[in-house]
Amino acid sequence: MSSEPARSISDDDDDIAFGETLVSVENLTKHFTTGGGLLSLRYDATGGGFPFRTHSDRVRAVENVSFDIKKGETLGIVGESGCGKSTLARTILKLHAPTDGDIYFKGENLADLTGEALRKRRREMQMIFQDPQSSLDPRMKVGPIVEEPMKAHDIYDPDERSDRVRDLLEKVGLDPQHYNRYPHEFSGGQRQRVNLARALAVNPDFIVCDEPVSALDVSIQAQVLNTMKRLQREFGLTYLFIAHDLSVIRHISDRVGVMYLGQLVELADRDELFENPQHPYTRSLLESIPVPDPRVEGRRGVLEGDVPSPINPPSGCRFRTRCPDLIAPDTYEMSDAEWVNVRRFMRAVDRRTFTVTDRAELLAEFFDDAYPDGEAGDVTDRAIDNVLADEWETAATLLQERFAEQSICALREPSYEVEPEHGTNQHFAACHLNADD
Amino acid sequence: MHPDTVLNVENLKTQFFTEEGVVRAVDGISFSVKRGEILGLVGESGAGKSVAAKSILRLIDNPGEIVGGRITFGEKTLFGLEEGDDGEVRQDEAMLSNADMRRDIRGREIAIIFQDPMESLNPVFTIGEQLREFIEINREMGKKAAREEAIHMLREVGIPDPETRYDSYPHQFSGGMRQRVLIAMALACEPSLIIADEPTTALDVTVESQILDLVADLQQKYDTSFIWVTHDMGVVAEICDRVCVMYLGQIIEQADVDDLFYDPKHPYTEALLRSIPRPDETVDELDPIKGVMPEAINPPSGCRFHTRCPEAREVCMEVDPEAKDVSEAGERLHRAACLIHDDEFGADYRASTPIETSATSGFGTGLASDGGVSGGADDE
Ligand SMILES: Nc1ncnc2c1ncn2[C@@H]1O[C@H](COP(=O)(O)OP(=O)(O)OP(=O)(O)O)[C@@H](O)[C@H]1O
Ligand code: SF4
Ligand code: SF4
Ligand SMILES: [Mg+2]
Repeated sequence: MSSEPARSISDDDDDIAFGETLVSVENLTKHFTTGGGLLSLRYDATGGGFPFRTHSDRVRAVENVSFDIKKGETLGIVGESGCGKSTLARTILKLHAPTDGDIYFKGENLADLTGEALRKRRREMQMIFQDPQSSLDPRMKVGPIVEEPMKAHDIYDPDERSDRVRDLLEKVGLDPQHYNRYPHEFSGGQRQRVNLARALAVNPDFIVCDEPVSALDVSIQAQVLNTMKRLQREFGLTYLFIAHDLSVIRHISDRVGVMYLGQLVELADRDELFENPQHPYTRSLLESIPVPDPRVEGRRGVLEGDVPSPINPPSGCRFRTRCPDLIAPDTYEMSDAEWVNVRRFMRAVDRRTFTVTDRAELLAEFFDDAYPDGEAGDVTDRAIDNVLADEWETAATLLQERFAEQSICALREPSYEVEPEHGTNQHFAACHLNADD
Repeated sequence: MHPDTVLNVENLKTQFFTEEGVVRAVDGISFSVKRGEILGLVGESGAGKSVAAKSILRLIDNPGEIVGGRITFGEKTLFGLEEGDDGEVRQDEAMLSNADMRRDIRGREIAIIFQDPMESLNPVFTIGEQLREFIEINREMGKKAAREEAIHMLREVGIPDPETRYDSYPHQFSGGMRQRVLIAMALACEPSLIIADEPTTALDVTVESQILDLVADLQQKYDTSFIWVTHDMGVVAEICDRVCVMYLGQIIEQADVDDLFYDPKHPYTEALLRSIPRPDETVDELDPIKGVMPEAINPPSGCRFHTRCPEAREVCMEVDPEAKDVSEAGERLHRAACLIHDDEFGADYRASTPIETSATSGFGTGLASDGGVSGGADDE
């Protein structure tokens, strides 16, 4: 048995050296339109239940994402559910047509490729999904499952193929004897190995892994992660590794990108990102993870509220509606303490998280150490009056318009390069706190 | 029973009678829950955590059945089935009837929260109505008072704008908000024990973190005891006071949380702790537990972990160790089910010959896994 790439695949002409850019994603955007277009009817909760005509909604799933992946490295992408990780992965592999932006593979723009050239690139880019069960045809035996992509791409001779399957099964840590077993005869971790073998069958350079170990038990997770690292070394693979689990990302990645609501908010070397995070969202994420050590103190649920809808995301920085560090609008003179109180009050009014009977109680709750004066004080006064008159909506709108929407965080989209403390590679952070003024 | 003990479980056995055979999902577990503590029940998928949790409330349906053991809750016997001296199995006379369980225990005295909130919420009724009705029935309140209490509880668990949100339907809530509603419902009757079966597993970490904070606050305020079922050692470290580690239907180790992490006394717990990646440290190589958990339908002889245990010896294939206190004099109670503790188990482990397992030899038993096959699988 031999694991040498067969002569029948000739990709010698365009080999990229280790450490050189293999994949380049530029300003990638993917929007989905939902609903039935202009004629779709919708019931508006605030409009008394009358159906009205609406434009079809545009889900801005991925917006303006750019990064490079170097040959031989693992770029981890982390973010919470719905932040666009899987859409990003699928768009890179052209399983979705991008709305805007470009993907370069080995220097070629995928959008320019057709026919045989595109087929070849497709073979070089493979994908592994989260659910090892559903991605394997239950009626097929494992051998033919792994062999199938070789047939589809018409590479290797028929006899070579079955040898190669046995070889690959062994490489991913399965028993080659299991050639004739069905997927249901394997455990979850083993099925994910079958997926790995299948992805490797066509000798790819680049594998996009979308939550490949999320469905597995921790002990099995560790086995599969180790195997993936070994295969990477052995076959010179490049991974785009998507996960929601920061511990897994920290373990597997060389560089890490953090996504929030369709955008990349931070990107840096692994240790730089974990030790010197510059985006408040990254910091919140890191502070939220429970650490498997009872003597480590300090996890706190730091973020309030829920992720806003990607149909109508906040202007400027998309994280601003939840950001614990939202920057004070420079239209007013406010001390830090005053702004902290105003911000907290504004959010509490927005979310209506308190009840109050009189002004003194409200001041004690929100403004016991500092109350803004001047114009900021006037606005706050009016909002308090509204709340006391049970006009919450009015108060919320007033505070939003006069404070939140005047912040630079709402006015401009942030994008900054940060001086890294660990290593020398690029550290990108989409947060105005990094503006050096 | 110790006055501080809320719940006591002794030798509980729950089995499923399937076509393929008898699944010994929970196979003789014993533990107790003290007032105001959070007891973690941790283990991998299929270890029997959910079956154990449901058994406490007698929520096991066909083809499953609790086949033995005793569950006492305060003065009440929730379950009692014991073998007499004559070998006959008898039901305890004091055991509550199904009607008693429904009326007096579930929801009122012991509440349960499941992983998927939609399992417990009715999609066609509003959140507020469901909570109000629950309070009305269980706390014998009038409709109006129950509504006010429902809004109060929604605010208590951090639902924004509860007056308006009262009229929302479950599908209009995010997963985290639905889980908050279930916590509100669980707390509504001020039960002395809440069983939470992976309530945060499906949630994002920032939301999970909010919920864990909420639980910690409410637990202090209401002095409720919890059984917290999870597979996440991070969550265990974060909120639990004591921990039971389950493997293949048995509790193999039981200790205070700090002792469990810093002085584990069972090879499975040790291996589990070594295999997890950490968010706060860069670990380049993980040390996975070799092999896979065998089926509960046909568990290995002797110690059930022996097929994967790096310390396994011949005696481990013969003797099934029952958890025993292995703490030194003056230490807190620390139970482990492992023959390595010769003083307590007296099975002459030291004199026994080491055996080859998937962990010791590099050869897998049954289906291969990493390290299970010679050749490519050389993961350090
Ligand atoms: N209704 C059922 N019929 C047959 N077997 C069952 C049934 N429910 C559970 N089992 C079996 O009982 C054992 C324990 O299952 P249980 O659901 O308690 O595991 P768990 O520890 O909660 O796992 P997870 O982490 O996946 O939730 C498993 O072997 C499972 O297959
Ligand atoms: S730009 Fe403003 S809102 Fe966005 S993360 Fe930075 S401080 Fe927060
Ligand atoms: S009894 Fe033997 S096999 Fe079981 S955990 Fe202890 S050493 Fe390992
Ligand atoms: Mg379960």
